[in-house]
Amino acid sequence: MDKIFFYECKRLIWNKFFFGLLLTLLFYGWQVLSSVTILGVSHTAPFSPWSFGDYLSRMIPLLWIGALFFLTFFTSSKARRAAVLTDVAQLSPRRYALARCAAALTGTGLLALFCLMEAALFYGRYFGWYGWGELLAPILITLIPPLVFALGSGWLLGKIRPWLVYLWMLIPFVWMILPLPEALSLWNGSFFTNYPSVLGTLDPAFTMPQAALLAQCGLLAAGACLLVLFPGKNGSSGIHRGKVQNKRAENKAP
Amino acid sequence: MKTIRLFPLELRRLLQSRLTWLIALLAVLSPLAGLTLYKPATAGTMLSNYLANPAIAGGVAGGILFGLLTVFELNRAARSRVDVLVDAAVSPMSMALVRLLALMAASLLTLGLTMLVWTPVSWALIGSVFGGVDYLLAYLLLMGPALPLGVLAAASAYQFTRRADLSLVLFAAFAALSLTVWADDWQLCWLNPCVWALSDDFSNFRLFRSVAYMRLSWLAALAGVWGLSYLCIRQYGKGLFGSLARNLRRAYRPVIALLLLACSVAAYAAQPMVDQSNLDQTAMSFYELPYLEGVTCSQRTAQVYPDTNAGTVTGRATYRFQNVSGQAQTVALGINPGYTISSVQANGADLPFSVGDYQEYNEAMLQATIPAEEEVELTVEYSGFPQEDRNTSTMQGRKEISPEYLCLENAALSPRLMNVLPDEGMYPATIEITLPSSMTAIPFGTSEAKVVSEHQDGTATWRYEDNGTGGILYAGDYIRQDIEAGGLTIQFYYGRKHQSVMEAARAVDAVKAVVDYCTKHYGALSFGTGGALKLIQSRVSGGGYATAGASLLDEADFTAANLSDSGKGAIPGEVMIHELVHQWWGLGNMFDTSDDTSPWSAEGLTVYTTYRIVKALYGEDYAREHYVDQWQQSVDDYYLNFYVRHPEYLASLPEDKQLPITNSLTYVRQYCEMPLKILKAEALVGGEEAMDAILSRLFNRELDPAYPYLTYGEFLDACGLTEEDLNLG
Repeated sequence: MDKIFFYECKRLIWNKFFFGLLLTLLFYGWQVLSSVTILGVSHTAPFSPWSFGDYLSRMIPLLWIGALFFLTFFTSSKARRAAVLTDVAQLSPRRYALARCAAALTGTGLLALFCLMEAALFYGRYFGWYGWGELLAPILITLIPPLVFALGSGWLLGKIRPWLVYLWMLIPFVWMILPLPEALSLWNGSFFTNYPSVLGTLDPAFTMPQAALLAQCGLLAAGACLLVLFPGKNGSSGIHRGKVQNKRAENKAP
Repeated sequence: MKTIRLFPLELRRLLQSRLTWLIALLAVLSPLAGLTLYKPATAGTMLSNYLANPAIAGGVAGGILFGLLTVFELNRAARSRVDVLVDAAVSPMSMALVRLLALMAASLLTLGLTMLVWTPVSWALIGSVFGGVDYLLAYLLLMGPALPLGVLAAASAYQFTRRADLSLVLFAAFAALSLTVWADDWQLCWLNPCVWALSDDFSNFRLFRSVAYMRLSWLAALAGVWGLSYLCIRQYGKGLFGSLARNLRRAYRPVIALLLLACSVAAYAAQPMVDQSNLDQTAMSFYELPYLEGVTCSQRTAQVYPDTNAGTVTGRATYRFQNVSGQAQTVALGINPGYTISSVQANGADLPFSVGDYQEYNEAMLQATIPAEEEVELTVEYSGFPQEDRNTSTMQGRKEISPEYLCLENAALSPRLMNVLPDEGMYPATIEITLPSSMTAIPFGTSEAKVVSEHQDGTATWRYEDNGTGGILYAGDYIRQDIEAGGLTIQFYYGRKHQSVMEAARAVDAVKAVVDYCTKHYGALSFGTGGALKLIQSRVSGGGYATAGASLLDEADFTAANLSDSGKGAIPGEVMIHELVHQWWGLGNMFDTSDDTSPWSAEGLTVYTTYRIVKALYGEDYAREHYVDQWQQSVDDYYLNFYVRHPEYLASLPEDKQLPITNSLTYVRQYCEMPLKILKAEALVGGEEAMDAILSRLFNRELDPAYPYLTYGEFLDACGLTEEDLNLG
């Protein structure tokens, strides 16, 4: 299992796609930090949890796309053809799929980590600020649920139809346009600009309304469930495998 | 030859694809988004609303759609696993070129279709101010190039990476940058050009030139990047570097790509549209130059020849100096940074001169040393394309020069004398300008221009006398209407194209109401030239200014769209009101140069008076909602702003990051905080009537000739209040 996990990690991370994506993310992130985050949101400091959350929200669409592209390594037609071989291996398809999901999660986590490191560099360089403990909550709340959900839902959709993963990449942009209620406003980033002014205090500590917290927990739970419950279930790849086996049977018949 | 033969085949194949037609259809429909969802041009003119916004939205959507189509098409062979076969039949290099040309052709076809479909729609929406030239240029520049740029960007990404997924990510990030963090940089926003307004009544060539320049720079840059990616096309089963090494054998390929890139970098760095003015808008170093000892200026003249087709200016300015110092002296003149000085002469002899690199408020400093002679006539010859201030680079269009409209301000008209005192004549100036005979020259001030000669080439030379070191001149196809109000004759100049809107908006009544209000409440204006005040309609510029004897009226004050806005009451034109009020506060009563630590300036009383007039004209609710509530909101935001509360963090930022923040904060103090303080003073002194009486006394007070400025201290004394009384906390 470990071997497969590390192998898949290497396959995902040690290639030009990962490095291209990483460079793109870092360039975009620096532009956001130096022209938007530097102003601070809702009268808070640029390094407040709110401004930092706003930065993360702006990065999520690209991270979401990156996470789903990682899944295309496993759900593409090419990968399906190779599945004929991997499916006959001793390891159960479910565990194999879990290892792949974990690898995709690791790749996504690495991308997110680089975004955080970039922000740390920015805060250190411009403000001499290093109080990262305060920013843990927005990181956990903003990044983890949507990215886990991206992987869980993307995995399921990719097994139904590979092209659905590409369509799913547009979801963050749809969220951005939609006027979401406050409970879901973390999905389009408006939470970080609107909620501090609702609190009525200056430089409020990071808090969240229960509904928004529940929405994020729901997103995380949904993503985790999709990852844990459906990874090995047969989708169209199963049908494909069935066809291959039938062909084998036909070949053997004479 | 093979490419030429393959191109029609590939284009036909592309046009037989349903996906291509779907993309084309979506691109044709995409200007709809500019009418509803995406409106980057915020000015209220009809062309901004119904031409600029749809065209820009069409460009954004079309560029993205064609980028996606490009990745899909380039990946088609690899996706179907026939790339090996295709590569064996046709060289991948030829195929890449053919595909690019076919996609470009499809994008041009889509643009043509879009223009065809949207012509009647735009005509119907825009109404009487619809113009064919504006329409064509808007679609050809604001929408058109975005499509091939999208194709080039996506094709480059694919050819470098040879992966559809990575290409899509790169393209998405590139488009997202243009739409977000680069949106306010006129040179970088490759997908959505910085267009905030199109004029209904006058031409828009200056703005279109700027967009065309940006598009051409990006076309060169992306063509160069595509050229580099072309070298990376995989051949003979080799990888990126192997293919690159092989493709480099034909030297002209990398040379062309690098030349294109070098051209784009040079075009970016040496752009002629915007100057390099200091970003610190409180810097006044040109105004702080010490005056030369023993040198005075007794007269100046200028002959200006604008080329209204090319948008350039050629001119010759002469200055008559008395130099009694007995030594050579270095004279400093401010010139528009876009101009080139071809010669500087003193009494007919050539002088060495230098133009400094430092620029401030749209001026660079020209220095020349005049000889130690008692009478010196200095002649400066200049020419070029006037640049705009980079602090307003997202609102270009002010320096419009065309056969329909012209505006030359200060150093753009003729070099402005910086460090020489006048004699008793206060810099008498004679300005001559040669214009197409359809244009009327209107000096912005009390002077009157007259035609002194007409030429056979359809131009006429206008001459006017003026005083001062600078001067502003407007010219265009204007109508003049004289209005009697407040004991003044107001010469109201507006564009001929705007006549029906002005009449429907009852603009004359609006002007009369404002002048009568201020005269009644504060006192009559007095000008040395028989009580005339010019009110000149400018091209849409997002604001205005005033000088003794003249005020601006922004075109956006009176638009057809405003007429149907019942919320605006009977009289629109709040920028016009503001600028007219400056005749009382700022000119009738002068204010010293504003100090960044104090909110006191002419703007405070002007904004307050504008509010009072709006309240009288539109009602209390409208005035409260659009003035007091907005000041309060801005002031609240100001005091809560992180950098106001923690200036040490602002000080620690690099200067280029500090300045935009500081500039926006200064604006709030002068335009929002001070009016609120005056409103508070009004309540403390006993209401509006009491405040009007105080302001009237201040306006009519006896001036100290040595320091004629109205100070905050005088205002507080007149109110019987202290600075602390007006604290807003």
